Order: sequence, then structure tokens, then C-alpha cells
Amino acid sequence: MTDKKSGSGLDAVDEGPISSDASSADHGGDEADASEHTSVAALKQRFADAVVRHRVYAGGQHVVWIDPEKSHEILSWLQADPDHHYDMMSDVTAVDYGNGRPVNVVYQMFSTVHKRELRLRCELPLDALEIDSIVDLWKVADWLEREVFDLFGVTFKGHPDLRRILMPQDYAEGHPLRKDFPLRGRFSRAEQTRRALAQDVERFYRAEDLSAGHIPQEVAPVEVGTLAQGEREGNS
Amino acid sequence: MGLKHILPGGGTSATTGGIFGAGSPTFLTSKVDWIVNWGRRNSLWPMPFGTACCAIEMMASAASNFDLARFGMERMSFSPRQADVLICAGRVPYKLAPVLRRVWDQMPQPKWCISMGACASSGGVFDVYSMVQGIDTIVPVDVYIPGCPPRPEGLIYGLMMIQEKIRQETLTRHFEHRAEDPTRVAKPQVGDLEVAELSGPFGNSTQQDQLSSGEVVREGSTSDDLLP
Repeated sequence: MTDKKSGSGLDAVDEGPISSDASSADHGGDEADASEHTSVAALKQRFADAVVRHRVYAGGQHVVWIDPEKSHEILSWLQADPDHHYDMMSDVTAVDYGNGRPVNVVYQMFSTVHKRELRLRCELPLDALEIDSIVDLWKVADWLEREVFDLFGVTFKGHPDLRRILMPQDYAEGHPLRKDFPLRGRFSRAEQTRRALAQDVERFYRAEDLSAGHIPQEVAPVEVGTLAQGEREGNS
Repeated sequence: MGLKHILPGGGTSATTGGIFGAGSPTFLTSKVDWIVNWGRRNSLWPMPFGTACCAIEMMASAASNFDLARFGMERMSFSPRQADVLICAGRVPYKLAPVLRRVWDQMPQPKWCISMGACASSGGVFDVYSMVQGIDTIVPVDVYIPGCPPRPEGLIYGLMMIQEKIRQETLTRHFEHRAEDPTRVAKPQVGDLEVAELSGPFGNSTQQDQLSSGEVVREGSTSDDLLP
């Protein structure tokens, strides 16, 4: 739009994401002293070359940007070290800021031992959307990483079963939460309808998925013939 | 043992009276159409396909305050094989489209379909990549109920419209109307152009044309043109 009209809530839709070049990206938040957060201070000391920046949001949410190459090493240290012991991975998600800026993979962690919270972010350039999987550290990351892969196209190296989780398995239009993805998809509605109806519903699941919850328990074998007719175990 | 021993009045007996008095016949003549339609419209078993908040209103309709059973919808049939009316209550994503279509294909003839609420009828506010823009692209719909969500009275009125529709059907034309082509199982209900027309853009989809095949902006148009 050339002339600026005020009052239309749809202006931003026409203009798309606000442009800014990646070098001068403002990350918001407040500069903070690392000494406020024990884990941030320890990270800065131990992985000085891997910590990119540190900000505080919403009063007390400490966010540390780290080098994606070292993410697995840092996360496994944060989980294992008794001074930090982040035993709960609350969320693994991602943010695409658009206009060619890097996609951020976000790890939200909580330590139930120290009652401490920490958010880590890894910036991945659009031409190299790859990061180490952390399923070997937190099993919960399995589906969360599948979701990020499905919606953002980030590949998690070493993930045991990296396939789509929300969109259909044969979805061919891309990764919907990326900023370059058109709101109504890439195919026409007719093609989308045709493809949807051609889906094989059974293919959404693997044999193991369908048998989940029905894993036979190890039961001690009952010795046949030791009890008389009508007698129950435990009766004297 | 014939009818006259069962029915009060005993046929054309001169001593014991029929319903219209002694000597009157104890049978009525009617049209087969009327009898069949009367039976059908008063024993509709709904197949609830509830996917969103409309399903909450559907449950309220079946509960004691509104009591759907008054109209013959005595039993919600959770198996499509025993159902007569498909009530699609809520938004249907493309991933669920083949499921809805299969449920419809599994229902025995004669069958009817209600599209309940804005999302099922037109996609509603979900004019996005993942949502079916009206289930009439998937299955044939008899009654559309507007609302977001419709109140239980709305659903009951929709079901009464189905009853009214059944009342006007005749056996000779019924199967002609509802005959299904087995080759069209799991195929879209309407052609490409109709799908495009039914799912035309509105709301905030100002950057894309009707076929949503990219970011086409019409020459000289601004978002204000599309505001009401």
C-alpha cells in the first residue's frame, strides 16, 4: 500500500511481516546481569564461546541464545549437572520471524529440584534448518520435535521417528507455520479436497501406535493344578 | 387367528363396536407413501459427528431440557450402520475429511445429512490451509443450520425440516434422488469449480485469489475494498 490509511485493522495483512534486515534485528527484552540466574552465570562461564546473548523478558524469564552446534552438549550438561538439574523439558517449539531471518528453536526447561526456570534459543538460518535431537535426554521431546519438524521444517538429527504428526503424512504443500507459507495453502481448494479424500486413513498410524497401551504385562505364571476345584489363591 | 380376533370390535361384528361404532370396519385405508414417510420421519436416529463447540449444543439438545427424543431421535447412533441422519457439528479439517466421507458411505439408505453451524457449512472463520470449506464438498447436505454455535432450538428446527423433507418424499422417486454411484465413493461431492466457488475468499484472505494458488493481489485493490 502506498498511501497510509489509518483505522484499518487489515493493513498489516497486506503489508506482510514488517521488514528489517537480519543484522539489526532487535530482540527486545532487557539486558540483564547474568549473576541474577545461577544457571545463566554457569553457562556463561563454562560455555563462554557458545552463549550468543542473554535477555530477560516479562520481569523474570531468562532467555539465553546458544550456538546450535553445541546445543546437545549444553542441554545434556544442564540436565545432568547436580547444580542445575533441569529434569523437566516443558516445551520444544520454534518461531519464524519471516523476511529471511533465522528460525529460532526454543527449549523451555524447568528444574523441579531447584525450582528454577530457563529458556534456551538456537538460531537456525533458513538454508540450514538442522539441529541435534534431544530425545535421548528427554523422551518428551519426541512428539514436540516431530511437531516442530511438521510445522517449521526443522530437521532433528538423531530423532528415532521423524515424520509429520499434525498434518497428513502425504502433505505436499510445505510447512504451514513458516512465514512464507500462504494462509490458504499452496494448492487450490479443489486439489486440497481431492487429496484429502484420497488419503488412506489407516496410514496415519503404525502397528505400534495402534497397540500402544495394550502391551502385555509380565504376569507371574500361575501353577496349574496346585489349587483344588473352587479353591482360590490365598484361601486357607 | 385373524385380525378380527385381535382388534377390538372384531371386524364387522354387529354386537361389539369398532372404533366408529358397531358394524364399522376396524381398518383404515392410506397411502403406502404416507405410512412409510410417517415411520421414517418419526424414528430418525442421528449419527453425531461432533468435532467442536457445536457438539456441546448437540449434547444439550439431546439432554432433558430440550429432549430430542420427543421428535423420534430416541437414540444417538454411534455406529453409522444403524444411523439415518448424519449431524456434522463443528469444523472439519482436511485430515478428518476422509473419515467423514467414510462414515457417510457406511450409513445405509435412506439417509440425510445436517450441516450444523458456520464452520461445517462454510468453513466459518477458519479460512485457512487446513480446513474444509463447507462439508458439502465432501458429502451431500440436506439442511444447513446457521449459528456459531446454533442453539438447541436451531438444531431441533433443522431436524424438523428434515422431517418435513421426508414428508414430501415418494417411494417411486426416493431412490432415484438418492441413488449413489459406487464409483464416486471417497471422491469429492462436487466438481472443482463448485469447490472453488464454495470456498471463495472472505475475511482476511485479501492477498490470494479465489483458487488460493499464490499471493495474487488484484490491480489497484486494497484491503479496504474488501471491508464491509
